[in-house]
Order: sequence, then C-alpha cells, then structure tokens
Amino acid sequence: MQKVLWGTAACAAFLFCHCGTALAQNKSDDGLAVGRQMLAEDNPGELWIDRGNRLFREKRGPKKASLEQCDFGLGPGKLDGASAQLPRYFSDTDKVQDLESRLLTCMVELQGFKREDMVKTAISPAFSDGSDMESLAIYITSRSNGMKMNVRLSHPKEREMYKAGEYLFYRRSGQTDFGCVTCHGEGGKRIRLQNLVHMIDKKQLQEVVGSWPAYRGAHGVVRTMQWRLYDCFWQMRLPELEYASDVSIALTTYLHRQGNEAVIRVPGFKR
Amino acid sequence: MRKTRWKWTMLGVPVSIAAGCVTYPDQATTREMTEQMVSASFSAPAPALLKRLQQDPSQQICSKLGGAQLTQDEAAQVVKLARDSIKFPASGKLVGDWKVGDQLAHDGAGDRIQFGRLEQRKGNGALCQNCHALEPGEINVGNVGPPLTGYGLQRGNSEAIAKYTYEKIYNAWTVFPCSNMPRLGATGHLTPEQITHLVAYLIDPQSPLNTK
Ligand code: HEC
Ligand code: HEC
Repeated sequence: MQKVLWGTAACAAFLFCHCGTALAQNKSDDGLAVGRQMLAEDNPGELWIDRGNRLFREKRGPKKASLEQCDFGLGPGKLDGASAQLPRYFSDTDKVQDLESRLLTCMVELQGFKREDMVKTAISPAFSDGSDMESLAIYITSRSNGMKMNVRLSHPKEREMYKAGEYLFYRRSGQTDFGCVTCHGEGGKRIRLQNLVHMIDKKQLQEVVGSWPAYRGAHGVVRTMQWRLYDCFWQMRLPELEYASDVSIALTTYLHRQGNEAVIRVPGFKR
Repeated sequence: MRKTRWKWTMLGVPVSIAAGCVTYPDQATTREMTEQMVSASFSAPAPALLKRLQQDPSQQICSKLGGAQLTQDEAAQVVKLARDSIKFPASGKLVGDWKVGDQLAHDGAGDRIQFGRLEQRKGNGALCQNCHALEPGEINVGNVGPPLTGYGLQRGNSEAIAKYTYEKIYNAWTVFPCSNMPRLGATGHLTPEQITHLVAYLIDPQSPLNTK
C-alpha cells in the first residue's frame, strides 16, 4: 500500500528552481512595533539577557573556557547579526544547525560539558531562574535586535532542511490527525481562547520568528523555539521531540526562511 | 524497498546537474529523508508509542504540501477508508448519556507524553471544546470547527441523525475527506461507548447544548 502511494508521489516529483528571486519586502507599519517596544521596556526577559551576557564571557565547564570563541556563522565571537541568519550550514559539524544546537556544539567542544547533561537541563522548570541555554540563546538573539531575518539557503543541506521543514509542516499523524497546518493554516482561529498564529501568512509568521526567545508569562521564564515546538508536539499527542533534533531544526529552518525580513526584537512576550 | 530507492536516485540525477540555478531536493527524496528524520527525532517511554508517528494511508493522502486540493480519486479513497473504519458499540445503542457526554466534550486531556511519561487516565477527553462552541453563552471555546450550539434543536434526534452524528464523530472524513476534524473513533482516541455519550450530548433535547 505504502509503496504504491510513494510510487505515485515519485512520478509527480518536480524540479524546483529558485533563481534568486528577491522576496517582496513587507514594511511593517507601526502601531504594532510601538506596542512591542513598550512591552519590551519592562519585559522580565531582560534579566535573562543580562545573565546570558555574563554566562557567555565566563570561563566555565571542565575546560574552563568561555564561549567567546564560539562561531555562530559569522566567525568566532561575532555575534551581531549572527542569529538572524540561523539556521545555517556549519562545515565543522557538517550539519545545518539552529542557535540552540550550535550553542550545544560549543558548550561541548569549547567548554567540555557533556551533551546529555546540557540537553537534560536545556528546558527549565516553570518559575525557575531558567537554564543556561535559555539565557545564552536570548542573549545571542538580542545581538540581532533591529536586524532582519535573513536565512539564505545557499548550501544544499540548507535547502534539504527547508524542504524537510515544509514537508513536516503539512505532515499529519497520530490519534488527532494533527499537522502544524491544522492549527496554523488559517487566519482568525482559536483553540479554546488561545489565538492561533496563521503561519502561511507571511506577516503573521514574521511576528513569530522575530519574537523568540520570549518571556512566557504563564511559566514565568524565558522560553525558546525548541521549547515551543516540543510543546506543540505534546499537544498533538506525539512522542517527545528531542532537543536539537533534526525535525526541530528542519521546522525552524522552514519557519525562519518563510519569515525572512522579519525584524528581530527580543525578548518577545507571550501569554 | 531497494528497488524504490534506486528509482529515487535516478530521479535525483537531473536535479544535481541543473547548473547555474539553485535546486531543491525533489518531493520523493524529501519524503524519504524527512521520514528518516522523524524516526530519529522523538523519544517515548515505551517503543510502541513511537508508532504514533507513522502515518496511515489516509494521513499520507491528507498531508499535501500547501494544502493542495485532493484529486477525485484521492478523495474517494479517503472516504472509502473512512467508511470501512466505522465500528458500532457492542450494545448497538448509538445514543448514550448526555451528562457523561457533556463532561467528555469539555475535557481536553489524556494520552499526552511528557517528561518520559504517558498521561494515564481512565479515558481520554474528547477535545470538542477546543474547536467547537458548545452550550449557549460559553466563552472558553475554540473556533477551528463550526459552532455546535443548538445542534439537536436544528436537526432533531431521529435515528438517522443519531447515526450521522455517531459516524461523524467516529470518523469525520466519511463526510469531508481530510478535514481538520480528527477521526476520533477510528484513530482510537475515543471508544465507541464514549462516542454514544457525545451523540447524546449533541442531540438529546435535555442536553444543555440544546437549551434556547
Ligand atoms: C492542536 C493545535 C496545534 C498544533 C497541531 C500545533 N500548534 Fe503550534 N501552537 C498552538 C497553540 C495553542 C499555540 C499558542 C499558545 C499560546 O497562546 O501560548 C501555538 C504556538 C506556536 C508557535 C509560537 C507562536 C507565537 O506566538 O509566537 C509556534 C512557532 C508554533 N506553534 C509552531 C507549531 C509547529 C511547527 C507545529 C507542528 C509541528 C505546531 N505549532 C502544531 C497549537 C498548535
Ligand atoms: C481539531 C479540531 C476539532 C475537534 C477536536 C473536533 N472537531 Fe468537530 N469539526 C471540526 C471541523 C474543522 C469541522 C468541519 C469540517 C468537518 O465537518 O469535518 C467539524 C465538524 C463537526 C461536526 C459536523 C457539523 C455539521 O454541521 O454537520 C460535528 C457534529 C462535530 N464536528 C462534532 C465534534 C465533536 C462531538 C467533537 C468532540 C468529540 C469534535 N467535533 C471535535 C473540528 C474539530
């Protein structure tokens, strides 16, 4: 059965060419931006940014090293604008990585931490001080504040990740038949009273990709995109999304690319 | 399996030699690669739970990129699979207790997996309130599906309506292939007995859903 279906899909396979078409620029106009600014001014997430700044420079881990030599794509220690271009391909790991998986690489390689330990604590309990990962991720993202999301897909592996993310966005499974598109494919929809972002709408998606990591009121901590995706899979009744897994990176690549040109402004603020 | 893989490789050739132009992997390659990612990206407290990630044939048809339209054949196939999936309760009675149905309809919990544990409860909540307006004046309701307020007032509680409603909840795709409404009976999220209580909640004249 499966084979027959897959065969049909293979026949329909097409060659998709994307020859440097410039994406139309959406100038975001600006009542919204002002509102965000006001929120940002007393957003508790600022504390996480300060902590992340300190952690980034501190000599830590078995190797007693700071993260100052970590390369987020623009060269060791170059943070301004780096997260705006993530996920991207890194030749040292031969992988497409998002900000959080890249941080993991550096915590392991430069500082000598154990990957499992870092993964275990990456998502913090609600109403705690947050994890090192959360603080570092929001600090590094804040160094792209005011800049525009610019995921380029110039490496073939980046394009693979992008297509995988698109496939996953529409992939339905499990006992609820949910795919991302079920809840994020139409405007004006709610699950109970929670508004659902219409992510096929570029403008709405841009509000999303420019605002993570975000301070989440209901949890009293800063949350990252890895957490957000984990939580949506939980609602879908699927198994647990592994931290920094390829599925998480594929979805982030797809969403960030679709939201290119979004102005980055963290800490975001969520319900 | 090996044979199909070979075919995909062949398909990959024209893609990699197209010069001067940025290329993306074709659909078949993307599918194979991503399904492998799916197998490697999740964990569960019991291996059997990982089966939830596998798509059944209907879900495969219902996952078109960009939400593209189904062909007539695909729609017919999904409807047929849906019709074949319907099972009725052992008792043969399709209308249960609306009070139990009321509770179920407002219950959104059950069967989620977190921190290496499966959420254990007597039965799953039915999730209706997440997506549908139910009783008049209720505020904390979703709008992914149409309002069900006054469902029985509009349609009555004939045997035909009971059967239609039972089947709709058991497998929504008998009526609208690939709609956003989950196939709650067919996927095993709800039991046939639970569905009879939900039918009662929707069509019983005593049900608060049907107050004027
Ligand atoms: C059953 C419904 C449902 C499904 C399916 C679902 N989500 Fe969500 N998603 C939600 C809800 C509800 C929220 C926001 C909750 C809130 O208000 O805090 C959300 C929020 C999000 C956000 C953050 C939006 C923001 O405000 O910035 C992202 C990103 C996201 N989802 C991505 C996904 C992806 C990717 C998938 C598929 C893997 C997915 N979701 C599947 C219900 C869903
Ligand atoms: C994730 C969203 C979702 C959930 C959960 C859900 N539904 Fe639906 N429902 C829909 C959508 C979307 C439609 C419209 C498309 C269709 O009919 O399949 C619908 C349609 C219906 C209809 C048909 C309405 C008509 O006018 O014929 C009934 C009856 C219904 N739902 C009952 C239920 C009940 C009872 C539950 C809980 C057991 C439930 N639904 C859970 C989304 C949902």
